[in-house]
Amino acid sequence: MFYRLSGVHHTRYETARQLWPIPADRWQVWILLALALGAPLYMADLYLTSYMLPWLVWSAAALSLTLLMGVAGQLHFGFAAVMAIGAYTSIHIARAGWPFEIALIGAGLTAAVIGCVFGAAALRVKGLYLVMATLAMQYLVDWVIINVPAISGGAQATLQTPDVTFLFVPMQGDTALYYGALLWAVIVTVLVLNIKRTSFGRALVAVRDKDYAASIIGVNSFKYKLLAFFTSSFLGGVSGAVLAFCYYQAVTPEQFGFNVSIQLVAMVLVGGLGSVIGAYLGAGFVLLAPIFLTNAMAYAAIQGWLTVSSNLLAHIPLMAYGALIIGFLLFEPLGLAKIYDNIRKYFLVWPFRHSGS
Amino acid sequence: MRGLFKGLIGTVAAAALTVTGTAKTDDDTIKFALLQDFTAVYTFVTDEYNQGQRDYLTLINEEGGIDGYTFQALVRDTGNEPQRGLEAYNRARREGAVLVDFLSTPVSRAAVSRVLRDEIVMITVLHGRGDASDGTTFPYVFPMMATYWSQAAVLADHIEQNEDGLEGKRIAHVYIDSPFGREPVPVMQELAERKGFEYRTFAYPSPGTEQSATWSDVRRYRPDYVMIWGAGGGQPVSVREAIRNGIAPERILSVVWMAETDARTVGTDVATGLKRFEAVATGTDYPIMERIMETVIEPGLGTGDSENVGTTYYNIGVASMAVSVEAARLALEEYGGPLTGEKLRDGFRMIEDYDAEGMMPPLTFSEEDHQGGGFGRISQWNGEAWEPVTDWYASYQDIVWEEIEKDAAGFREGR
Repeated sequence: MFYRLSGVHHTRYETARQLWPIPADRWQVWILLALALGAPLYMADLYLTSYMLPWLVWSAAALSLTLLMGVAGQLHFGFAAVMAIGAYTSIHIARAGWPFEIALIGAGLTAAVIGCVFGAAALRVKGLYLVMATLAMQYLVDWVIINVPAISGGAQATLQTPDVTFLFVPMQGDTALYYGALLWAVIVTVLVLNIKRTSFGRALVAVRDKDYAASIIGVNSFKYKLLAFFTSSFLGGVSGAVLAFCYYQAVTPEQFGFNVSIQLVAMVLVGGLGSVIGAYLGAGFVLLAPIFLTNAMAYAAIQGWLTVSSNLLAHIPLMAYGALIIGFLLFEPLGLAKIYDNIRKYFLVWPFRHSGS
Repeated sequence: MRGLFKGLIGTVAAAALTVTGTAKTDDDTIKFALLQDFTAVYTFVTDEYNQGQRDYLTLINEEGGIDGYTFQALVRDTGNEPQRGLEAYNRARREGAVLVDFLSTPVSRAAVSRVLRDEIVMITVLHGRGDASDGTTFPYVFPMMATYWSQAAVLADHIEQNEDGLEGKRIAHVYIDSPFGREPVPVMQELAERKGFEYRTFAYPSPGTEQSATWSDVRRYRPDYVMIWGAGGGQPVSVREAIRNGIAPERILSVVWMAETDARTVGTDVATGLKRFEAVATGTDYPIMERIMETVIEPGLGTGDSENVGTTYYNIGVASMAVSVEAARLALEEYGGPLTGEKLRDGFRMIEDYDAEGMMPPLTFSEEDHQGGGFGRISQWNGEAWEPVTDWYASYQDIVWEEIEKDAAGFREGR
């Protein structure tokens, strides 16, 4: 009823192969896009700058990581370091007077090259051992940034982002920054959606499922593992640069610490490995749930419903957040994306109970 | 499926609750946003510090406020995460806050460009950017107390006084391997050159629970004095390791982050003689503290454990709010209400020789100087409490200001 499957007949390959073959999915995407495009018109700046903007950028970062972890099956626990490389490269290029467009590409390339160097470990090791290799990357990059003042920016270890223009639009003011982030999120989303249905994406999936089985059927796992690291690190690096320029407007080493890497992994896992909508849901959950919980508890305390010490009050959101993660994963181990999928499948055949397939 | 919908409805309801949870703006309350890290890195200081701040604001309100204005503290946890700090900041700004205090270097750094744009005063007491002391470059940021550079200068001066000069002395600087740890290095290097002493740095890895390898290096160096530059759990480890490596407690000088709890962790007897930099007096023998005891704590209006009243970090919190309230008072006197960020900033700049009734060194701010002079003193652990051994003083402000101006110039160029 909602999805109106009857009457949808694909008579040409192009329509059957398009990104969203069902019209209902398509108009949902268009509505979401329209809502996102119109957000500056109807959203108060608090929600635009503190919720929407960081959510979009972190979703782009989570998408970059889910391409590597979910699609290609290469675990990466140092992705914040990849973003740090992008952020620092872009800011140094921009400060040197080059255009912002070049800075973004430079950020992606530097992150991709360095990411590949560490990704080369993936050619030899798998699973937990790869986790260790990527963790080493996190600590090495952190150490280099902190210990080389030329990178981190002297005693204060803070670099302010210079004023830049992107495609002749000055990147100042909430609206411009928001559209910058939105543009990047849309690009990454479309790219990852498309990668998943190309031969490149299928090769990555083959490597993920069993690398030597993949090589038997003619997929060069050496090449595709490196390509996965390259692509994902490129996207991660640009996401780091976008995060720095559109959101933080200042770069410090703490913004890309080990805990951020873990948050990124949490976004991917809670959202659903390899899922595009999962990256959005996961980023939204990991980023916004603590904020919502903290504000809800503070509100309850102000109203006098909750009389506990301020120390305990600050920790209740943490407990609730942990319980939520456990709850979601118990309820649906495949992540938030699977919950979405279940709902969608339910409405796909509503009012009937089973789709038959 | 039904359970899922219930859950969804619950989530939406909770979200709606937080959305509507913005307080109404009353015209006769002045809102200070204390958006601090209660759960992650700064936990060693935040509870006591925040308690001191809120108790002081309660005291002012109980005494009738200022000019009919009362103060309200907006308190939120940021978990030391810039994105949560910025969210809390934007929310507080919407609620009409005129002053923010993050007590977190990463959050403050991310907020600098925003407070400058939004014209809201940000106090960065003993954290944040030291170069924000330059009021012309950072008109809305107030470090308010001695920066780490000034602290290093005060500690070096103390050694000089004690030893009749620094020439030929060996000073080891043992720090946590982070920007905070290495912040005083340029000032100390400049001093070493000027005064002709030997200066060497030793870093230990974050978070500082394991430092033995570093300290055996320090032992081989055989320093005359050791400056320890860490915070929280790493500090007692540093002291214990130093003593174990044959350095007398009297020769250990600590950055401001050294409190009663640290001395107790080391062992009250073992730590006897240990020296530290002090920005605000400790204890309850000051008029403000006595009034807090009488008006806030005894009637049960305090925000936390009354055991904390008078501890190092509690008093720093009280002092930070005392200065801020003084600034608000001066601003209201000069311009009248309602108070805005701009008026409050001018209020800060009007403060002259304010010492919070003896609790602090006399602070004077101006359009250029947002540090307040860089004063501090040395106090020593006597087995039971921190006892001041010097008067309030400031040292080598010329070197400190060279650093401030150098970094501030970098900030200006970066924009």
